[in-house]
Amino acid sequence: MDDQACPRCKTTKYRNPSLKLMVNICGHALCESCVDLLFLKGSGSCPDCNVPLRRSNFRVQLFEDSMVEKEMDIRKRVLKDFNKKEEDFATLREYNDYLEEIEVIIYNLVNNIDVVGTNKRIEQYKKDNKELIMKNKAKIGREEIELEEILENEKQMEEFRRQEIAKMEDEAKKQKIREKEALIDELMFADGDAKDILNTFAQTVANKQEEVVPLLPKVTQFSSGVKFTRGSSQALPIIEEGPLYKYEPLEIPDRCGPDPPSLEEIMKNGFLHHVRAENETEKAGGYTSTLPCLRALQDALSGLYHAS
Amino acid sequence: MFSTSSQRKFWTFNDESELARHREKHNLEFISKHGHHIDEYQRYNFFLSPDEERLLLKQYELHLKEFCKRFAPPMPKGVVGTAFHYFKRFYLYNSSMDYHPKEILATCVYLACKVEEFNVSIGQFVANIKGDREKASDIILNNELLLMQQLNYHLTIHNPFRPVEGFLIDIKTRCSTLANPERLRGGIDEFLEKVFLTDACLLYAPSQIALAAVLHAASKEQENLDSYVTDMLFRDAGSDKLAILIEAVRKIRSMVKMVESPARERVRIIEKKLDRCRNEENNPDSEIYKRRMRELLDEDDMPHSGSNRMSLDTSGISQVLSPSIFN
Repeated sequence: MDDQACPRCKTTKYRNPSLKLMVNICGHALCESCVDLLFLKGSGSCPDCNVPLRRSNFRVQLFEDSMVEKEMDIRKRVLKDFNKKEEDFATLREYNDYLEEIEVIIYNLVNNIDVVGTNKRIEQYKKDNKELIMKNKAKIGREEIELEEILENEKQMEEFRRQEIAKMEDEAKKQKIREKEALIDELMFADGDAKDILNTFAQTVANKQEEVVPLLPKVTQFSSGVKFTRGSSQALPIIEEGPLYKYEPLEIPDRCGPDPPSLEEIMKNGFLHHVRAENETEKAGGYTSTLPCLRALQDALSGLYHAS
Repeated sequence: MFSTSSQRKFWTFNDESELARHREKHNLEFISKHGHHIDEYQRYNFFLSPDEERLLLKQYELHLKEFCKRFAPPMPKGVVGTAFHYFKRFYLYNSSMDYHPKEILATCVYLACKVEEFNVSIGQFVANIKGDREKASDIILNNELLLMQQLNYHLTIHNPFRPVEGFLIDIKTRCSTLANPERLRGGIDEFLEKVFLTDACLLYAPSQIALAAVLHAASKEQENLDSYVTDMLFRDAGSDKLAILIEAVRKIRSMVKMVESPARERVRIIEKKLDRCRNEENNPDSEIYKRRMRELLDEDDMPHSGSNRMSLDTSGISQVLSPSIFN
């Protein structure tokens, strides 16, 4: 590790213990300060091979051999598209051929053999298997979520068990202290034989141990099976449920006049013959001639009884 | 609905004497506030009396009617009715010496246009006013908030126009004895136009006014709708309610019959008197007003050029009105 050095500024691990080498997709390393310097604007080209790079794609170099890093990058990229599963093939042979093909592609890209042709091959594959790729991507996403859920579940169970044990221990300790005190009290104040008292106490202790109350498991899902939380630790707000809503018809204020006809009466009794009928456009907008008719009649009758 | 409205609760009064009391009160208030330097006898000559104010406002109501009639684009009836309501309500609690009716008139119409959803911009609006339009628009916009405040923000007006439509629909449907009710329209419109020159809309429900208009128009056409009122409208109501309505209709009709335009000569004298006794603080042409406006502007920390708009010159809104008394 001592000879690890930035190829650009020649700083070594020895001279700068906090030296961090970063790699990008081309596999050439740069130290963190050089990255900061060269990629001030977010993008630039690799000083070794002149490949255009983005700053956001830099990551810490994990392996000493930068070729491994490069391969990891390429593999990640290729596998994003070559995401078929064994189930997608009829025979094992075909699946193996497919895996072989992937390895060939990756090898070619890593060692710069026929890069153009290989990239064409990838493009071709992408075009041919567009739907399958999408489907498998979604499937992988789902599987990841499921996995996460299982992990979460296990974590919860673990937590629950731990709590249970702690609680039991605590309870037992308290119980012991209490019994001891009771026994001493009894021995101090009772008139009976001390041996008898000791015997009865030993009896009750034995009985009690049997009736340890099992703890209720913590509820972690709704009755529908949906988890309270998924990933995030946010608690759901508790909604207080009041009494059920009961419909009460609106109170009609005193009209101070004769009662106007209802909507049904307006339609039945021929009031509509004397108002302009709505046209098709207005009907589409939800307008009917009954409403203005009703309003005019209501306005006419409201307030007729008004007395100063 | 009128029965639950602010119009009924706050702006429908018991009788004419109550209206007169309000007006007189604010007339006296103005005089005692601004007339402390003038002795009793002179006061009478200097300030307007309640009667003179009444006459002046009547004249301006006529102007209001004319202004609305000539307004371009043509105004729906509801706007006119609402403007009349605002005008009457405003001067119930304010003296015309405090705020000049010609300014309030234009503001009332402008506000009514807005409330009744008759969309005209201020530019379009003042195009209907002769004289200095920029000054007019300043006056209107300055007074708009004052007007709303004086109306206590009770801006919804129940006009008698929709009730009239309701009655006509009802008559056509339920009262087949009357042939061709549409011919009543001329009479109704004429009646309603005159109704707004009276205080009826401050005393009665819009439906009562509408019914009075319909009955008046029917009697003009030598028709009788009494049976419609007694047998249809008031079939289920007690005779006491019918009596109240009959009295209301009779009163409204007699009020309309009494409408007459005030004598031109008298109004001219009153106008001259008003020019001398009006509250200069609210006169956009006065020095006090200009100074106050400037102070307000300075307070607002606005650029000084703004005050130019406020220092209004003399000839503004006096031309709002139909030329009848100004030429």
